[in-house]
Amino acid sequence: MLTGNSNTGLAKNTSYKVVLPFYLYAGIALLIATVLTLFSTPAFLQHYFYPNTLAITHVMALGWGTMMILGACHQLVPVLIEQKLYSDALAYLSFFFAAIGIPLLIAGFYQFDFGWPAQIGAVFINAAIIFYLINMAISMAKSKKENVHAVFIFTATLWLIITTIAGLLLVYNFSYNILSKDSLSYLPLHAHLGIIGWFLLLVIGVGSRLIPMFLISKYSNNKILWRIYFLINFALISFIVFFLYFNITALYFIPLTAIAIALFLFGSYCYKSYHERIRKKVDNQVKISLLSVFMMAFPLTFLLIVICLLLFSVSNIPLILTYGFCIFFGWITAIIFGMTFKTLPFIIWNKVYHSKAGLGKTPNPKELFSDKIFLVMEISYLSGFILFAGGVLISNEIILKIAAVLLLIAAVLYNGNVWRAVTHKPKSHERNNQ
Amino acid sequence: MNEITNNKEKCGLALGELKFVEDPEIGLNVVDLGLIYQIDFDEDQKKIFCAHSLTTQFCPMGETINDGVTNVLRRTFPDFAVETIITFDPPWNSQKISEEGREFLNL
Repeated sequence: MLTGNSNTGLAKNTSYKVVLPFYLYAGIALLIATVLTLFSTPAFLQHYFYPNTLAITHVMALGWGTMMILGACHQLVPVLIEQKLYSDALAYLSFFFAAIGIPLLIAGFYQFDFGWPAQIGAVFINAAIIFYLINMAISMAKSKKENVHAVFIFTATLWLIITTIAGLLLVYNFSYNILSKDSLSYLPLHAHLGIIGWFLLLVIGVGSRLIPMFLISKYSNNKILWRIYFLINFALISFIVFFLYFNITALYFIPLTAIAIALFLFGSYCYKSYHERIRKKVDNQVKISLLSVFMMAFPLTFLLIVICLLLFSVSNIPLILTYGFCIFFGWITAIIFGMTFKTLPFIIWNKVYHSKAGLGKTPNPKELFSDKIFLVMEISYLSGFILFAGGVLISNEIILKIAAVLLLIAAVLYNGNVWRAVTHKPKSHERNNQ
Repeated sequence: MNEITNNKEKCGLALGELKFVEDPEIGLNVVDLGLIYQIDFDEDQKKIFCAHSLTTQFCPMGETINDGVTNVLRRTFPDFAVETIITFDPPWNSQKISEEGREFLNL
């Protein structure tokens, strides 16, 4: 008889009450971002340091991307470390401060007024991230499991707090000149701390776990993941040093090359997971998640061209705008679209049917949302994304308007489908006992 | 069949009922997936011991699947106390899937 083992690998599920507010907030933020985009298309013909553009970027980065990831990590990290989340209260505090801080900051960007509301917004966002960091740190410290994915997530959180502290300083710098240069000069540093340190590290850390899991693939290669981890951190640290202490554009090819190798390794990791999958039929949600990995190549290519042009002292603003657009509306949005409908239905399913497990016929988690609506959303999103990126590149406002409508449709459909899952009512047929 | 038991008759009944516990992500039941490793019956102490696995070590549905197995065994054998453990020794692999399961998954 097998004896003595505890339930290893048993997920310590976080309550849906902790996770859902983050998901719902993120969905509304996406809707707001697409509405703002629709009414701000002329801004995409201007410099990137423009009120509407800064506002939209931060709605996407904080309201959409970060809130969604915070919610997902509260659910996922306890599963990875086999340790219950340290504190639900800290998670609620994190949500509360971020939920208030983000609109205050964004209103400041939109009006280009960095007075006390924007300053308090930035302080609140930092408080939210600190609560999240403490919660993750204590949860992970209590776990005896060493896990490469958790290391990615924790390091990404450290970079996030560095990013938001840098953001706080930039906001205060508008009013008090606390830094040696103006805030615009530090924008590339702040942006890449967030893009590379937070989003890229996080997406790879989480994606390398979830993509094989949803493909039912037995492929796993921690060696490659550690290489990716060191390459990304090396790239970011070298970029910070070059940015702050050297004024030589050519040096940026060093971090760029490290990122390119890391992305190539992650791409090959996902390909091998796909190749060794047990489930032959891949659903739309995993397909768009895999597509997001491919979409990482777009901003990388644009960045390469931007740096090459900078070598000749040419700053191409549409190219830089397209680069940013491809990050926030591109791979980050694509992977969130896919992963929302792989994780949210499970959270709701667990809430509604957990106590009925095995006792009756219950719907599958994928039946909690409409796959048809998802497909229409996917088509609307991808066509909107391609058109908008093209519209920015050739500075054509008509194309931008059409694309913005398509992105808005995708956001409405996304929220509708999320709402459908969240409001799911139990349907089960209890089996008769023998 | 991968399972080991000390009571073939009761184990057969248990496996039949455990076919109602599905891995929600795959839509296939735990028996045909080959996740049930052991079901032993202690007639003296009126106790059932069930060892099962998951398709992946960090399965977010692990708790639900484990509860499903427990619920079904309790319901099928109301006079017995049920103890379940999740084990990855040996780790699950696709070779453990039954013929019916392979057909279902188009393998």
